[in-house]
Amino acid sequence: MIKIENLEKIYRTEEVQTKALNNVSLAVSEGEFVAIMGPSGCGKSTLLNILGLLDEPDGGRFAFAGTEVAKASERRRAELRKQHIGFVFQSFNLIEELTVFENVELPLIYLGVGAAERQEKVAQVLEKMQIMHRRNHFPQQLSGGQQQRVAVARAVVNSPRLILADEPTGNLDSSNGNEVMELLTELNETGTTIVMVTHSEHDARYAHRVIRLLDGAVVLENLHQPFTA
Amino acid sequence: MFKNYFLIAYRNVVRHKGFSFLNIAGLALGLTACLLIGLFVYDEQQYDQFVPQGEQIYRVGTQRLQGETTESTPMSPPMFATSLQQELPEVEKAVRIMSLQSKNLFRVGSKSLYEEHGFFADADLFKVLHLPFRYGSAAQALAKPSSIVLSEAMAERFFGPINPVGQQIKLDTSTFQVTGVLRNRDLKFHLNINFLLQLSPAVIGIPEKRMQSWGWRQFNTYAKLRPGADGRNVAAKFQHYLEEKVKPQLAKDNIEYTAFFQPLREVYLHSADFKINWATHGNITYVRALSVIAGFILLIACFNFVNLATAKSMQRAKEVGIRKTIGASQPQLMLQFLAETVLLTLISVVLSTVLTALLLPSLNRFTGKSLSFDLIANPGLLALLLGLTLVVGLVAGFYPALVLSSFKPVKVLKSTVVTDGPLGRVQWLRHGLIVVQFALSVFLIICAIVVFQQVSYLHNKNLGFNKDQIMFFPMRGDSMTKNYEAFKNELSQAPGVASATIGYGFPGDMVAGDQIIVPINGEPKKFSVTQLLVDYDYLKTLGLQLVAGRNFSKELKTDKDQAFILNETAVRDLGFATPEKALGQTLQWNIWNNKNPDSTKTGKVIGVVKDFHYKSLYDKLEPAVLQIFPDAYWKVAVKLKGENLGAGVESVKQVWSKFSPNYPIEYKFMDDNFDEMYQAEDKLKTLLWTFTGIAIFVGCLGLFGLATYAAERRKKEIGIRKVLGASVSDIVALLSKEFLALVLVAAVIAFPAAWLAMSTWLQDFAYRIDLPLWAFGAAGLAAAAVAFLTVGYQAVRAATANPVNHLRAN
Ligand SMILES: Nc1ncnc2c1ncn2[C@@H]1O[C@H](COP(=O)(O)OP(=O)(O)OP(=O)(O)O)[C@@H](O)[C@H]1O
Ligand SMILES: [Mg+2]
Repeated sequence: MIKIENLEKIYRTEEVQTKALNNVSLAVSEGEFVAIMGPSGCGKSTLLNILGLLDEPDGGRFAFAGTEVAKASERRRAELRKQHIGFVFQSFNLIEELTVFENVELPLIYLGVGAAERQEKVAQVLEKMQIMHRRNHFPQQLSGGQQQRVAVARAVVNSPRLILADEPTGNLDSSNGNEVMELLTELNETGTTIVMVTHSEHDARYAHRVIRLLDGAVVLENLHQPFTA
Repeated sequence: MFKNYFLIAYRNVVRHKGFSFLNIAGLALGLTACLLIGLFVYDEQQYDQFVPQGEQIYRVGTQRLQGETTESTPMSPPMFATSLQQELPEVEKAVRIMSLQSKNLFRVGSKSLYEEHGFFADADLFKVLHLPFRYGSAAQALAKPSSIVLSEAMAERFFGPINPVGQQIKLDTSTFQVTGVLRNRDLKFHLNINFLLQLSPAVIGIPEKRMQSWGWRQFNTYAKLRPGADGRNVAAKFQHYLEEKVKPQLAKDNIEYTAFFQPLREVYLHSADFKINWATHGNITYVRALSVIAGFILLIACFNFVNLATAKSMQRAKEVGIRKTIGASQPQLMLQFLAETVLLTLISVVLSTVLTALLLPSLNRFTGKSLSFDLIANPGLLALLLGLTLVVGLVAGFYPALVLSSFKPVKVLKSTVVTDGPLGRVQWLRHGLIVVQFALSVFLIICAIVVFQQVSYLHNKNLGFNKDQIMFFPMRGDSMTKNYEAFKNELSQAPGVASATIGYGFPGDMVAGDQIIVPINGEPKKFSVTQLLVDYDYLKTLGLQLVAGRNFSKELKTDKDQAFILNETAVRDLGFATPEKALGQTLQWNIWNNKNPDSTKTGKVIGVVKDFHYKSLYDKLEPAVLQIFPDAYWKVAVKLKGENLGAGVESVKQVWSKFSPNYPIEYKFMDDNFDEMYQAEDKLKTLLWTFTGIAIFVGCLGLFGLATYAAERRKKEIGIRKVLGASVSDIVALLSKEFLALVLVAAVIAFPAAWLAMSTWLQDFAYRIDLPLWAFGAAGLAAAAVAFLTVGYQAVRAATANPVNHLRAN
């Protein structure tokens, strides 16, 4: 699914150059659930943004689903993104002007899915996330856990092959956090590849594999048994 | 998909109420101003458009060089039409009209009314100017000396709503037969024709010979060219003809002019500075100025859009980021943002149509027009409005949409403050637009002040005579004109009357131009001067000041036939070094006399009066000669005593009805007459102030919005500063500084532009104020004050808020 080699990312500001990623190589195969860990500022989000085609690397190679995308145009990357990738953020990033239903519907609209089909799909995924009864609420009327469920619903509504989650439980208490982790696990079990950044060892245990970063480089990959509830 | 865009746009409009309100209010106001101005300007441009084959028709006037400037008048001699027709094969037809000038008493049965705006016209008038007829037909309308064609309004006044063709109507003692009624109630035609008589020496009451004159410029000539003929060629040919055949003849009488062909389509708007013009006219300068102002206001309103939308982009950056990660493409996002501006514009347009409909009656009252704003009857207008919505929405929305939709999701999702990339450019653009807005406002303020000053100057300048409390009217009826001396005596003695004078040539009224002959070393030299034909009480009644010599005196019998008084300009022009040296000089004048055209009056200069403005301040003072000449006596000026004007008017009326019981008196006050001369300027003044106000207000709405966002954006910074010890005034200064600097830059741009525009405008006036420098300072200060108040409100609010709230929230 994902294969990167010697990936580099350098942030240049007037005074300093920060090497956020330094010769990072890794592979994620289809159906895997990978956690990325490391101290603050080690480059986790940077890596995830590149994997999600939101950002471009400065060097190295990146194959996404078999095609080389390190130097792909913004247009091509946007196309791949909307077809194959779903995002979940720490701060939910729901659109405040839109209702729950409309937030979840949005990726389908951008994909050009017809109204009837959208209706059906959104209802389905909202049921699954147990948030259907809140479909006409606006984000600020929901609790943090509910908001993150909506965000997950929105990430999966177009059945992406890859879900990227950046500290999805960072703003949640432990029970809400566990709920979200359960959701991700379920998705993974139905075949969706998941890459998740987290600071929590507890959450990392849901993943098949943990990649540890330090100062922009991979220091350790350890496999452990999938956590089963 | 589009439905979705508009749904979201609608939600955004509702959710950001303040933002939407500022945009909608500004744009609705701006559009209303534009619509009103647009309706007015469009109407002004419709004049004479209805005349078939108008592009082949020219009004042939005359002009001459007066120092640096050409002085133009539509007036031409009777021979123009004759020679155009005979000498130039390209001319299909040339016709003349001549104004009756004064009001005339008409009678039908027992009904008698004064009617003005009457013209003599060649029988072929309608072959050149196809005017529509309500009753009767053009072909024979002016065929007979007894024919009269009426306007719809006049026909109704005398005959009611029936067809009056064939009926008789009396003008003084002559009887005319109605041959037609023009359909001209709302006709946009440059001549306000109330009635038409046949133009022939018999009807006018002049000798046949006068129609052969090249010097008697008392007509308007219209020439229709054959299809394909080029106006400029014909004009050149005619000029050539005049040079060859006519010029030498005119030179003998010291008359000089050239002909000029004015296309019919330009007659209405391009004649504002013409001398002696009977036609109603607009003013292309004012039409253009108003159009420019309308453009300014619309521009300011559009800039508000751009500014507010880009300022708000901080708030919306995150939304863009999210949409993009979910899969929105830039074009899709642009469409979404454009949908929002188009929606806002649509709401504004709807509002402004309502406002326009509400305000139109006031505009009509103000301009004396009957503009209509009927969208159903006029689908073109509706289409125009929708077009305007799209254009304004797209133009104003394009740039913000481009900026917003180009945000990089990684950047905007991460941080709360976005300052790099396109936003830096946006800041620059926003400042640029504010500068332009303020430059336009400062420009308008300066113009408004200068126009205001000049208009007050026109109304209040010391004219060299006293125009207050002077009743002014023409004599009517034989029993009055024949007994003018007795009439005047009784007037002078009537209670409430200070003095009375009878003559021809009063300030603000028609004056006669004629020649005066100065024998220099035995050689008669002719000078063109204004002839004021007066009596012994003219100086006293008008309060003119003698600077040398004496007034006319009844006691000296020679004063009637052998005395002249000059004004100071005449002293100079006729070559007498000083007023004192002018005294005793000999002058000669060809007496106006039908029987013996060659009789001359010879006399001496007995006095010199201080210059006084008997014409409007548009015109330079001209040399004037005053003399006693009862044959021309026509108008009466009565100076009333101050205490009780009403009683004075009453006693004048009583004397009038003793002498002329058959004619009702029709009087005016001389100062009103003068005020009317500056109506166009008065209106310009009012319009300028109104629209300048609107422009500034609309600009302020935008500035207020920007200040709100600036305060919002810097909440946290302000909080920290306050915790560190900044005072309220420190914070206010911090937030206002930026905007005040922009106003300063705007002023620097506006000053030279305003200076140029206003000195050009002032050139039109022979008497004008110096460009007031303080107006520039005042405009700059006013703009700065308005900006400071607008921004200051937000700044103070931000500065006095409790900082802890903002710090905790983040
Ligand atoms: N836009 C940027 N400009 C300059 N430097 C940046 C930028 N974004 C990130 N960095 C730097 O790159 C490095 C990696 O940042 P990144 O956001 O990937 O860290 P992270 O591992 O996600 O940290 P955290 O756990 O705190 O979220 C940091 O040193 C950061 O300062
Ligand atoms: Mg991070």
